Amino acid sequence: MAKTVTLDAEPVKAASPYKNANQELRYKLYTLAIIVVILAAWELAPRMGLVSPIILPSFSAVVGALISLMQQDFFLRHFSVTLTEILIGFVLGTSIGLALGIALAVWPTAKRIAYPFVVGFQAIPKIVFAPLFIAWFGFGMSSKVVMAVVISFFPVLINTLVGLESVPEDARKLMRSIKATPLQTFRKVSLPHALPVIFAGVKAALTFAVIGAIVGEFVGASEGLGYLVELYKNQLRIDRVFAVIVILAAIGAGGYFLLEWLDRKLIFWRTDAQGK
Amino acid sequence: MMAARIDNGTPLERAAPAETIIDVKGLGKTFTLDSGPVIALESVDLTIRKGEFISFVGPSGCGKSTLLNMVAGLLPATEGAATLNGRAINEPSRQVGFMFQTAVLLPWRTVEENVLMPAEVFGTKSEATRQKARTVLEAVGLRDFMNAYPRQLSGGMQQRVSLARTLTYEPDVLLMDEPFGALDEFTREAMNLELMRITQAAGITVLFVTHNITEAVFMADRVVVMTPRPGKVSGVIDVELPRPRTIDQMQSQTFTDLIFKVRGILGHGQDSHA
Ligand SMILES: Nc1ncnc2c1ncn2[C@@H]1O[C@H](COP(=O)(O)OP(=O)(O)OP(=O)(O)O)[C@@H](O)[C@H]1O
Ligand SMILES: [Mg+2]
Repeated sequence: MAKTVTLDAEPVKAASPYKNANQELRYKLYTLAIIVVILAAWELAPRMGLVSPIILPSFSAVVGALISLMQQDFFLRHFSVTLTEILIGFVLGTSIGLALGIALAVWPTAKRIAYPFVVGFQAIPKIVFAPLFIAWFGFGMSSKVVMAVVISFFPVLINTLVGLESVPEDARKLMRSIKATPLQTFRKVSLPHALPVIFAGVKAALTFAVIGAIVGEFVGASEGLGYLVELYKNQLRIDRVFAVIVILAAIGAGGYFLLEWLDRKLIFWRTDAQGK
Repeated sequence: MMAARIDNGTPLERAAPAETIIDVKGLGKTFTLDSGPVIALESVDLTIRKGEFISFVGPSGCGKSTLLNMVAGLLPATEGAATLNGRAINEPSRQVGFMFQTAVLLPWRTVEENVLMPAEVFGTKSEATRQKARTVLEAVGLRDFMNAYPRQLSGGMQQRVSLARTLTYEPDVLLMDEPFGALDEFTREAMNLELMRITQAAGITVLFVTHNITEAVFMADRVVVMTPRPGKVSGVIDVELPRPRTIDQMQSQTFTDLIFKVRGILGHGQDSHA
């Protein structure tokens, strides 16, 4: 889909928000400086006795716990269980959200009928379903996948619907004037037009899938990173609790940056003004 | 800008009394709203000959867009009927091209891909249509920008792509709803001259909606003057200035008289620039 632009003549250049690379570098340095300050405070506070190391282990202690945890035999099992729950939940949630969003957008009657349910469902804090899903689907992975699906499909559904409905009137009229079929209009105009908005929903869905899997594990599990957090908390091994949090953060961030990269590849025409 | 020429440059034989292409009889549109009926347009009669350039002027709300949409087959009439080449218009036709105030380009497609989009929809995309697209892009002075994306183009250039997209599928009729209204004065004048040159060379019938009286008279073979509340045609004025039209003709007495005639129909205190 992505293409490189080659022009014989000089095109009008898209304005960059940063006039020079120099300034951009400076912003990066500021970010880095803040990180250093936070890590230093984290390291020094427990060491200087400002907080108990049991409540907040020092940064270096967490790094140590992280390394030792990752060397344990059981670690990979728990890691892969949670990762699998997240991935399956995310893929299913995104697919369901996309399918429902498209259905509601192209079929006005369905939207009229289903919209109250959609709004009502959104109002429920879906975390309350977690104990129920454990009761229904057991302590294994399926209850966590269901939880991840239930809270992650929603942003995709709403963004798909909103994106597809925001196609400019003139663009629809143009397609009608050349007698395009509804499918042609959908494929050539509506879907690409909605893609940036849909993608924002997909990114949110990933974050929600992580939350869903972990909450499910908190409520009832014998495996997974959420289970490990519960376990280490009960054993008062807070350094390991932090270590697991770091791993979860890495999963979330890794997925997010992957999606961000895909977003840029796929939606190459996005202008700076449209934001991210 | 004026250097580009349409493909073979065959001059149009306007001399022969051309046949009717669009026939509008008693056409009207009433919108039914919750607050009651709104008469957008009342009993319009108009016969348009092949190759004619017709301007529609009138203040906001006099039903210009409504009329154009009905002729395009995008909006059903509530009274009367319109025909295209003798056939009743009740749906859009591929012989008719529609151009809007905005260019309506797809930002994920290059200029060339945008221009070929209708061909894809028609299922006629081929080496021949590609060649045609290149020729038309050349004619509108955008050959060097075939592979550019819309956001890399100025507003005037985007509107040219829009024109090229329509011309590429060779419609008999071009419906234009304030096509250059969003452009600056200089660009608009250049676009108008180009439009006249291209459509005249290709023998395309043009229905051109504008708020601008000067522009309406300068472009047209006939100016249809419309007034609002309810929207209707209040007069049709023949413009017998020789073609090709030149900017100098605007200085002539004939031209000034025509402008006053249009103003007279519209009523006094009417601005030429809306
Ligand atoms: N979809 C609609 N529903 C209800 N009323 C409409 C609709 N479209 C147009 N009208 C009404 O019909 C009348 C004519 O509208 P139209 O858009 O044809 O005017 P216009 O001459 O094109 O105006 P402008 O110069 O502002 O574009 C207006 O009074 C408008 O409010
Ligand atoms: Mg209008």
